[in-house]
Amino acid sequence: MRAYLQKYTSAAPLAAFRALFGLMLAISTGRFVALGWVRELYISPRFFFPFYGFEFVKPLGESTYLLFAVCGISALLVAIGWHYRLASIALFLSFTYIELIDKSTYLNHYYFVSVLCFMLVFLPANTLFSVDARRNEALRAGQVPAWCVDSVRMIVCMLYCYAGIAKLNSDWLLEALPMKIWLPAKNDTPLIGPLFNHLETAYIFSWIGCIYDLSVGFLLWNHRTRPFAYASVVVFHLLTSLLFPIGMFPYIMIVTALVFFPAAFHQKIIDRVGRLLAFPPGAIRSAAHYRFPVWLQPVVYAIFALFFVFQITFPFRYLLYPNELFWTEEGYRFSWRVMLMEKAGYTQFTVTDATGKRQIVNNNDFLTRLQEKMMSTQPDMILQYAHMLRDHYAAHGFTQPHVYVDSYVALNGRTGKPLIAPDVDLAQQNDSFRHKSWITPFNNEIKGL
Amino acid sequence: MKKYFALLLTLLFLGCSSGSDKPGPEPADEGKDRSVMLKALAENIIVPSYDQFKTKFDLMAEKSKAFTAKPDAQALGEFRNAWAEAYIAWERVELFDFGPAEKQTIRNFFNIYPASEAGIAANITDPTSSLEVPASYPTQGFPALDYLINGLGANDTAILAQYSTDKDAAKKLAYITRVIARMESLLGKVMSEWKGEYLNTFVSKTGLDIGSSTSLMVNGLVLHYERYIRSGKFGIPSGAMANGIPAPEKVEALYIKNMSQILAQAAHSAYVDFFNGRHAVTGEAGPGIKSYLNALGAKDSGTGKPLTESINAQFQVAAAKLGVLKPNLYEEVKTNNQAMKDTYTEMQKAVRMLKVDMTSAMSITITYTDNDGD
Repeated sequence: MRAYLQKYTSAAPLAAFRALFGLMLAISTGRFVALGWVRELYISPRFFFPFYGFEFVKPLGESTYLLFAVCGISALLVAIGWHYRLASIALFLSFTYIELIDKSTYLNHYYFVSVLCFMLVFLPANTLFSVDARRNEALRAGQVPAWCVDSVRMIVCMLYCYAGIAKLNSDWLLEALPMKIWLPAKNDTPLIGPLFNHLETAYIFSWIGCIYDLSVGFLLWNHRTRPFAYASVVVFHLLTSLLFPIGMFPYIMIVTALVFFPAAFHQKIIDRVGRLLAFPPGAIRSAAHYRFPVWLQPVVYAIFALFFVFQITFPFRYLLYPNELFWTEEGYRFSWRVMLMEKAGYTQFTVTDATGKRQIVNNNDFLTRLQEKMMSTQPDMILQYAHMLRDHYAAHGFTQPHVYVDSYVALNGRTGKPLIAPDVDLAQQNDSFRHKSWITPFNNEIKGL
Repeated sequence: MKKYFALLLTLLFLGCSSGSDKPGPEPADEGKDRSVMLKALAENIIVPSYDQFKTKFDLMAEKSKAFTAKPDAQALGEFRNAWAEAYIAWERVELFDFGPAEKQTIRNFFNIYPASEAGIAANITDPTSSLEVPASYPTQGFPALDYLINGLGANDTAILAQYSTDKDAAKKLAYITRVIARMESLLGKVMSEWKGEYLNTFVSKTGLDIGSSTSLMVNGLVLHYERYIRSGKFGIPSGAMANGIPAPEKVEALYIKNMSQILAQAAHSAYVDFFNGRHAVTGEAGPGIKSYLNALGAKDSGTGKPLTESINAQFQVAAAKLGVLKPNLYEEVKTNNQAMKDTYTEMQKAVRMLKVDMTSAMSITITYTDNDGD
């Protein structure tokens, strides 16, 4: 381990990754604003679903635009490597804050971006090919500790591998669900559309998808298989972007996977672009070795050790819960479970009180379409919403209101059934990491991990 | 040679019969081809249903002219009968609230009830009042005509007096003409679009993303069942939805009294027929939502029961509850409201299946916001 920690490698892959990743995030942020999603998702809604333990993250109203400005500008600063340390901290905090405002916008790829931003805060990604290196000769270094580059590769590997492990279940492999449902929806795609009508295609997609996820990280790491693995990354992600509405994620993955390429590849790009931008040679290539400040080094080691222990174990927390993970979603998020389920739900809340008041709630009075859709299939959000309704009606003439929900949820083509016990007063229940006993048992089995 | 021919014919015959015996699994691509489904729905159901409605509507317009020309008891009776038949036929097209009908928001101008008596009175006084703004919805269409020909007096004599001896008689007659002209113009727009370019657009936009035909249609259909059949006809009048307070005056066709259940039945059976792809003229089942869901193999993984069977079974339960109600739902709310609420409850179960099971099996996102209950 000690020998590994003292191993050095070219800084080029990390620098190139920083530049590309920052650029992608800047584009992504700009796109988000341009599509009007800031208002739609973070300003217009009446109510937000904060994450458990992060209730202090509040929506910012019109200032959300400011937050996005900070995020976009810091992403650009990270890309060009100007005031890099400060910019990377601002990027991590602003991006993560945005993602924590409302659970209904949760996407694994946003979490992945947050995770990468967190790592960039500590990594020496600005020692080459950056404005900082251009201005500050003392900062320039062509060699960084090998673990700095490897940790980025490692997290990419883990993302794929965990996404593959999540597919090792009977619905995915034996029933070709949800592919069987999703593919026929695309049977009018030019050329390949008719293929999607066949069950075989759904099985092939499921199995290839699973094998791909499980193996591609390692194949990218191995220099012999790398060109094929990278080609498959490009094809796979372009195909998914064609078939499913998953925004920037495919492109971010295509760019991120470049980090596996050898230093010479990145150095060539940096040389070329650097010359174009009239970088001094020392800021493009350097023989210097980057060294963490003595006081900081053990801290960074500790943070990264803890970080990886967390990353490795956290996705398995679902094992601590009874009942079916896909049904209860206890331990579902932050675990690289991507595109695994077709889940749809319908909820109707009734608020009553001891004085005989009774109101059937129209969800659209309180929630946006997206929020209602997300809430209807996720028990923790149902509870948060029930509490919101309790407080709302308590303020509007109900005395100690009771909140009940009539829910109906369909998972992977199974006929819908109640997700929540209809006779449980949700106003009295509290959220915690403990199992939610008021979730109706799934009464069906999805075998596997 | 003859023998060979006979053998060939036999084989051919066998081949045909074994193929046509089972109406069951069509070739996968055929059943899942949304353009086939959309074309059949448009040509076999939507357009002919509009044609059928137009015939009834034209008759009503004709009878209304006769009535406004000579408002006597016989003309009133004929107008009323033609109105009732047109109203029933309307229930068989109201569900097509996507494409041209959605663009023209024809439902808002044809069947928003209860009618606003004050609004109608104001419009009668002021013939230049707008019939385009949302506030004018309950002052026109079938509900307004219901009020005008069934609700203006306690009996026919009193109603006829409104159109003959009353000081505003001429204005009232003019308002009938105005309401019918407005309906005619809107219907004309919707129908000419269906018979023109829109048909191709409808059939060719085969995607399932927001804005494509199937998605628009399914969204419109689920909304129709949820808000306009379940809530409008049962949930709201019975009070099953808001605070449990019955509102019998909110039934459809309030003034004629003995038609609300018949209209609800027409709407419900039209809905079931559309779901099953039944030809509007021949009644034969063809490509439609049912065949598409079957081709997708949508079924309960536990019991293996096809989803379309479950949905049809629930439709039947709801139709049975609806079938035993008396024609006058106003009276039913007042005297037999539990039966109204039971109908609502069974319809609610169908809503869940349509909104969750069906859309999930089809991979369609529900994009409309439901604003009922207030």
